[in-house]
Amino acid sequence: MSNQASQKSSFPRWVWFALVFAAIAVIPMLVGGSAYWKSILISIVLNIMLAMSLNLILGYTGQLHLGHSGFFGVGAYATTLLIQKAGFNFWIAMVASSMMAGVIGILLAFFATRLKGHYLAIASMAFAVILHQILLNWDSMTSGPLGIYGIAPPPAMTIFGKLIKFNDQVNLFYLVSIFAVLVYIFLDNILRSPIGETLRAVREDEVSAASLGINTKLWKIFSFGVGAAIAGLAGSFYPSFVGTLVPDSFAVVESFTYLAMVIVGGMGTMIGPVIGAIVLTLLPEVLRDIGDARLLVYGITLTLVILFMPGGIVQGFKSLISKKTSTTSSSN
Amino acid sequence: MVDIASLIIQQSINGIVMGCLYVMVALGLTLIYGVMNQINFAHADFVTLGAFASYFFVKWMGGGYLISILVAFLAGGVLGYIINLTIFAPLRDRGDELRPLIATIGASILLENGSLLFFGPVPYQYDTPYADAIRIGKIFFTEQSLLVVLVASAAIAALYAFMKFTFTGKALRAISQDRETAGLMGINQAFLIMLTIVIASAMAGMAGAMLGPILVLTPFAGASVVVKAFAIVIIGGFGNMEGTIIAGLLVGLIEAFTTQYLGSGVIDLVVFGLLLVMLLVRPTGLIAEKKEENV
Amino acid sequence: MSTNIKSNKVVIRLIVITKRKFGEVMQKNLKSLCRLLPFIAVGLMGFTQVAQSQEKVIRIGLLYPISGPGSYFGVMGREGTDLAIEQLNKTGVNGYKFVVDYQDSQCSPLAATNVVKKTLENFKPHIVVGEECSDATLAVAPILEEAKVPLLNAGSATMKLTGSGYKYAFRIFPNARQQTDSFAVNAIRKMNAKTAVLLYEKTNAGIDISDSFEKTFTLLGGKVVSRIDFGRDVNDFTSIATRIASLGPVDVILTSALEGQTVKIAQALAQAGVVKGGGGKAVQIGTIWLPWGFDQKAGKSALGYTRIVQFDPNETRPMVQNFVKAYKAKYGADKVPTHINAHAYDTIMIIAEAVRKGAKDSESIRSEMLKMKDVEVTTGKITFGEDGQNQNMSVIHFVETQPDLSWKTLNW
Repeated sequence: MSNQASQKSSFPRWVWFALVFAAIAVIPMLVGGSAYWKSILISIVLNIMLAMSLNLILGYTGQLHLGHSGFFGVGAYATTLLIQKAGFNFWIAMVASSMMAGVIGILLAFFATRLKGHYLAIASMAFAVILHQILLNWDSMTSGPLGIYGIAPPPAMTIFGKLIKFNDQVNLFYLVSIFAVLVYIFLDNILRSPIGETLRAVREDEVSAASLGINTKLWKIFSFGVGAAIAGLAGSFYPSFVGTLVPDSFAVVESFTYLAMVIVGGMGTMIGPVIGAIVLTLLPEVLRDIGDARLLVYGITLTLVILFMPGGIVQGFKSLISKKTSTTSSSN
Repeated sequence: MVDIASLIIQQSINGIVMGCLYVMVALGLTLIYGVMNQINFAHADFVTLGAFASYFFVKWMGGGYLISILVAFLAGGVLGYIINLTIFAPLRDRGDELRPLIATIGASILLENGSLLFFGPVPYQYDTPYADAIRIGKIFFTEQSLLVVLVASAAIAALYAFMKFTFTGKALRAISQDRETAGLMGINQAFLIMLTIVIASAMAGMAGAMLGPILVLTPFAGASVVVKAFAIVIIGGFGNMEGTIIAGLLVGLIEAFTTQYLGSGVIDLVVFGLLLVMLLVRPTGLIAEKKEENV
Repeated sequence: MSTNIKSNKVVIRLIVITKRKFGEVMQKNLKSLCRLLPFIAVGLMGFTQVAQSQEKVIRIGLLYPISGPGSYFGVMGREGTDLAIEQLNKTGVNGYKFVVDYQDSQCSPLAATNVVKKTLENFKPHIVVGEECSDATLAVAPILEEAKVPLLNAGSATMKLTGSGYKYAFRIFPNARQQTDSFAVNAIRKMNAKTAVLLYEKTNAGIDISDSFEKTFTLLGGKVVSRIDFGRDVNDFTSIATRIASLGPVDVILTSALEGQTVKIAQALAQAGVVKGGGGKAVQIGTIWLPWGFDQKAGKSALGYTRIVQFDPNETRPMVQNFVKAYKAKYGADKVPTHINAHAYDTIMIIAEAVRKGAKDSESIRSEMLKMKDVEVTTGKITFGEDGQNQNMSVIHFVETQPDLSWKTLNW
């Protein structure tokens, strides 16, 4: 699989981060005062975090995980309930629920990782179904299908003497973007380190990896734990963003959406899930005016991409580039 | 209060009827997995489309209900052929087991929403001529459920005989047990694999025709059944026919009794909880016959 | 949404020039630059603007579930609304024409929240009609309250909509308590019911209705023998019917579910010999959910089904008959309008009535609606209380299904 380190652009990394930060700072202004587009932006960032974390498990460690919606749901509900019922402060609740999701991820991995391929897929799906059912049926805790309403945004913070309120969606966007960038940097560093090599080895050929002395079970658990924790982190921002929390937002079918984002963007690359999340969050919104056909187009897109361009959009770009720069021999 | 004995018998009957339907859907999945090592997520939609095919045959062409089951069977087969042609066959040799799965997820979304556009969201009223109830003492069952049990048993028996006694059937079992050796024996794998998925999808279509009058008929009808079918396939043992049959009936019974004593809301919890327990304790399923390289 | 083409062209040309100038460097770093494209794409979206018309129009935003499993409601809602708009715009009202904007809220709080913000910004409606599902309606109510745009609802039963103090939420649909209070009273007094089973879908609406029925029923001396809930995805009710049969004789079974499931429930209960239609003694009772045509679908198992309907296409009132005629003319002579069609139609007519009295913007629409007394619509007469809930009970009609599947009006 592509080793991005070997194809580094001539721009040093810090320039990239500067550009990204600049883009993030500027984008909310580009959409003007539109509250609708601001919400979409926040959705995009949350989906980016979900796609990146799923990619860690699926793209880099090769585990077909169809239950990511479960971790997202744990993050969302745990945060809300800790704040509303236990009186925790938002930031502590966020950390706690992220860790809770991580622990659940570890547990799931602990017992699911001796399964492979399709078994793991079904087991992870079963996990997502069970979690959804728990959210639906544990009325006393979660209010079940009635949902939880009127959820407040994270409490205002004072930075450099200025009070920043998070019911302002622009500020909320900046907040989640910062976390998303941190997550990206964190994952990128892990994957460039020997840990990344190990995970890739597990993905490529578990048997050989084991013969090299790699404790494959441990590393799979690691992936699931980290991936779940990140999903939980994204989940903690979700309720205050939407204002209401219902179990059906975390049904199994959402897992397929995140899967699609990873695949369509390009799994096993860092930028792939980011692109996939952006494209697949925007596509239904842009197509909304077409009305009923949008979900259909969504399905068509996923099928076509996986059939003809399995490396996703990233693969598409790479082949475009290798066609343009005719002197370079084909990459990958 | 109704006496407990009748109650238990009644719920058992209810459970077995639904179980038969689940088995018909799950057998297709298990067959596909056994021979091709693939999962077809669009299996659910074959069930739905089978139901619609049967419905329109009866409503528009005025055909008989029993014949419409055959129509649905054929419709399912055709769908299976198409999906093999477009997804499974082209991707088979590349050895990637994830891609076809994901492609079938895409196909499933496509079929569901295409059906939604085409048929609309309003549930179709599918009345079967066999709706009357037969009463024996305190026990009742409808003619439709009797039909379900009969057709399902016949289909299962036919499939079983096919697999055990015909040459093609034995070839399929050979492929499912050891693909490489089977290849060496000069069996035309591509054809047989196509046949497998056609048969499996045809069974799904037929199940749809029988489910049509029972389910609320919308483009999402099949989805409600197939998630449980996946659970059944694993509980029974992937690729294992006897296991699937037992597991299917078991799940049907679980549903009926859970509804009686706990409430239908927790059915999914119970079934999937059982699934996870099975995976933990005995991942090869209730009856482990197939040689599992996976686990 | 119409695009501001000029700004897009300018942006595109800027990018082209930039590319040309930095050609070589860009070539080398093309792959890296491609990473920025997603951000640029998002930026381009921001240049989309909307052309606003300057004629005298009343803008009505509509939130309906057009896709997804709730689309059953959205399709019918749209029929009703389109018919009303067509009729009104032939002559206009008080010099105003009506313009609508449909948004697909998918019966889900998240989708509803998104599209309501979108329509508030782009379309700037004077009033918003919607949603059908209680969860989605509750999600948008605070947003519209803050925007000071009235919300007119004709489909959600949840008490919380008009019971939470919103000044801008209105509803012509009876809330859960209105639906069940009269029912509970009549069940005890007119039907001599002593025992009841509550059978309901596990949603806001189902739970609210069952709760309020139970409260009044037990207050008057009745006994709820069992509460059985189920999800919208349950299809086969044989087991549930068996369970009810095992409870022993029951007088009434309050059923709260959508038509598709209720047909199955009725048939299963008949098969199990529980209800009159199957030779038993129990009577199914229900609130407003079922349209005309249900009885034909359920067949003889619907015998004796006693329920509240909001819209009776057989009513001789001229307004009802005109509506039915117009509906058939537009959508087909073999179709009969359902209460969902009627409600959607009525919401537009209520708005039109406000405009007729002189309303022309959100605030005046709101105050005119608060003043409304006994305004006649196809489902009955509307008088809004201070909390925005319709108080006039003429919208509630009791009917009982006869052996020939027709309705007998019960004058309760």
